[in-house]
Amino acid sequence: MSEIKPKSTFKVTIDNITIDVAPGTSILTAARQIGGDVTPPAMCYYSKLEGSGGKCRTCLVEVSKGSEKDPRPMPKLVASCRTGVMDGMEVKNITSDKVKDARAGVVEFLLLNHPLDCPICDQAGECHLQDLGYSHGKEGTRYEFKRRTFEKEDIGPYIQLHMTRCILCYRCTYVADQLTDTRVHGILDRGDHAEISTYISKAIDNDFSGNMIDVCPVGALTDKTFRFKNRVWFTKPVDANRNCENPKCCGKATLWLRGADVYRVTARKDEWGEVQSYDSKPGWICNTCRFDKKKTSDWIIEGPTTINRHSVISQGHYEGMVMPTETIQKVMGGREPKLLMDIHDESGVNLSKK
Amino acid sequence: MSRKLLLEKEHVENIRLYDVYRREGGYRSVEKALKSMSPETIVEEVKKSGLRGRGGAGFPAGLKWSFIAKPEGVPRHLVVNADESEPGTFKDRYLMEFIPHILIEGMIVTSFALGSNVSYIYIRGEYAWIVDILQQAIQEAKNNGFLGKNILGTGFDCEIYVHRGAGAYICGEETALIESLEGKRGNPRIKPPFPAIEGVWKRPTVVNNVETIAALVPIINDGGDEYAKIGIGKSTGTKLISACGNINKPGVYEIDMTISVEEFIYSDEWCGGIKNGKKLKACIPGGSSVPILPANLLLTTAKGEKRLMNYESLADGGFATGSMMGSGGFIVLDEDQCIVRNTYSLARFYRHESCGQCSPCREGTGWMEKILLNIENGKGKISDIDLLWDIQRKIEGNTICPLGDAAAWPVAAAIRHFREEFEWHVNNPIECLTRNFGVGHYADPIHIPELV
Repeated sequence: MSEIKPKSTFKVTIDNITIDVAPGTSILTAARQIGGDVTPPAMCYYSKLEGSGGKCRTCLVEVSKGSEKDPRPMPKLVASCRTGVMDGMEVKNITSDKVKDARAGVVEFLLLNHPLDCPICDQAGECHLQDLGYSHGKEGTRYEFKRRTFEKEDIGPYIQLHMTRCILCYRCTYVADQLTDTRVHGILDRGDHAEISTYISKAIDNDFSGNMIDVCPVGALTDKTFRFKNRVWFTKPVDANRNCENPKCCGKATLWLRGADVYRVTARKDEWGEVQSYDSKPGWICNTCRFDKKKTSDWIIEGPTTINRHSVISQGHYEGMVMPTETIQKVMGGREPKLLMDIHDESGVNLSKK
Repeated sequence: MSRKLLLEKEHVENIRLYDVYRREGGYRSVEKALKSMSPETIVEEVKKSGLRGRGGAGFPAGLKWSFIAKPEGVPRHLVVNADESEPGTFKDRYLMEFIPHILIEGMIVTSFALGSNVSYIYIRGEYAWIVDILQQAIQEAKNNGFLGKNILGTGFDCEIYVHRGAGAYICGEETALIESLEGKRGNPRIKPPFPAIEGVWKRPTVVNNVETIAALVPIINDGGDEYAKIGIGKSTGTKLISACGNINKPGVYEIDMTISVEEFIYSDEWCGGIKNGKKLKACIPGGSSVPILPANLLLTTAKGEKRLMNYESLADGGFATGSMMGSGGFIVLDEDQCIVRNTYSLARFYRHESCGQCSPCREGTGWMEKILLNIENGKGKISDIDLLWDIQRKIEGNTICPLGDAAAWPVAAAIRHFREEFEWHVNNPIECLTRNFGVGHYADPIHIPELV
């Protein structure tokens, strides 16, 4: 018998795609390394915030084989963001009907009390719930009751709280815990009337509180300096940096421009909608960079931000875009297209072509 | 006559006080355990006894204790779950109120077995007066050398603290209880890590129900084998049942898990039959979260056998035709009770008690409550019944803690067994406001015994 060495990597199979990952990786992180459709959506998990995840249940997956040692399947669907991989584990995400069914249920539950005020919501266009609804939701709702609403609450000069839109992912409380000195807000009450609140109407005022806006997956926390100013898809994102005097601030940001005006400053996001990491440190930015430096002269502009071509934000941007070639001539065998009910000698539509 | 182990001395006057309790043979198990047994032998003894957790899940206690991690230099803790908030369950309250010393005694032995020098009782906030009783009992035990430093000269130190909850059902879930005990919001934690590895303040912790800990006293006194002789199969020992609802004699009973459900309901020794000579319609045999059973399935299993009051027999047939022992909250419903109203009131409870952490439970419980209220008020549609079924299916098993399951099961069982009544409510919207559906085809199949 050869010596049994502790394995340095675990082999995990997600939707029949096998990948080697480091021990201690969660199923979701492993799936993100594969990328594409096998990655479960995540609404509450945020890899840069310790302790986040497990709450929204959108990332539920089926574990059809526990590990090489213990091949029993797990009895229930598990939250992939908080379940570590085992060697030889087999996971079913989009290949499992159980998962699809449960996920459709979770999307329905998340949208149940959501106001769906996307037309007036500043988050529209970069909202995770919107994306999730499009990718996994059903059109129409089976909910016939009044949606729950909350009284508006003022939580400070920079951040607007719309509790009605909140999906209680708890990300903002983790930001306050892990980035700022003291947390002055939290979850009050319980059940479907649980709410984010400062309780004694204390203003959230801390150097890094603005990052709560970035981590919020929905429009519950929005930037007061950008509120109702513009739609995100009308603005052009550019990468920029400045030498910030705050040592915890990374100084690298995305400016959202329209013309020469800086409408909004956010941290740079990666492909999962999370803050970019630099030297494996998350690139949080301070409130000065975010709310006060609203002139292009404050920043050194690096170039346009790469936006996923599926995002609505990319609609206004034509960089590197290839126009599709006209195929109609090929399809028609070289003939000119004819109008279907051509009762006139000369079609008004085709007139210009002649 | 069933054998009593926990409530044997319940009618002794002033058994609440240390002197009386000690005179009646109390604290013998502490002397025996600390002086003549090692922690390992106690755990072995509990394993031998086959004692199962009395809080609802029925997990073998000895096995749970053997999972506790024992890293060097890290203290371990015992936490007693006295957050008894399940509708229909009031057995721990009775035990703590009348015989508090049996809990303290069991805790000292368990703390010794687990190596916990600081143990906690997490008690439901509404049991305000019981906190005083427990604290008095702890003080008395301390004065007599059973708590504090160097107990009985064996060198074992143990302190017990009583912590009052703030009135949340969710804090009866062990990880939410731990969070609450740490002073945080009572949200259940995501498992793993299990409390046996990382519990209170990231220290190995065992959380057990009051009754489980109290059962240690007879196990140590008489031995695990002796305890295992009582009962049938894997349901060993005695179980406290808090019977309530439409019965002649509601109250807390100690049964040895060999009697049948029929005997339990109709015998004069126990519940004494249905009140006012009515018929039995349905029963929730283990506290509000377990599936409700119609009378015919309650008294006999689907196989035609007599259903007994124990873990296996009550669960016979799975959820299709069976239920669960749960925490022993035995709620009996007679023919005048409306299943829709009953299900609505349970759904309202779970909506109110959902912690709001994970979305299926947070949103789904409220949705079910609203639909049930509509059906109850004659505003429902037939499609609502299927919708309810679909909602409960999507909550069950998809949540962090078992509260989602607990909210889904009563609704599922009510629709599974009493769909007829739901449909009647929908089809007779005006009539359903004035009268009840009655017993229906699941009527009491057993002739009511003549009143003696």
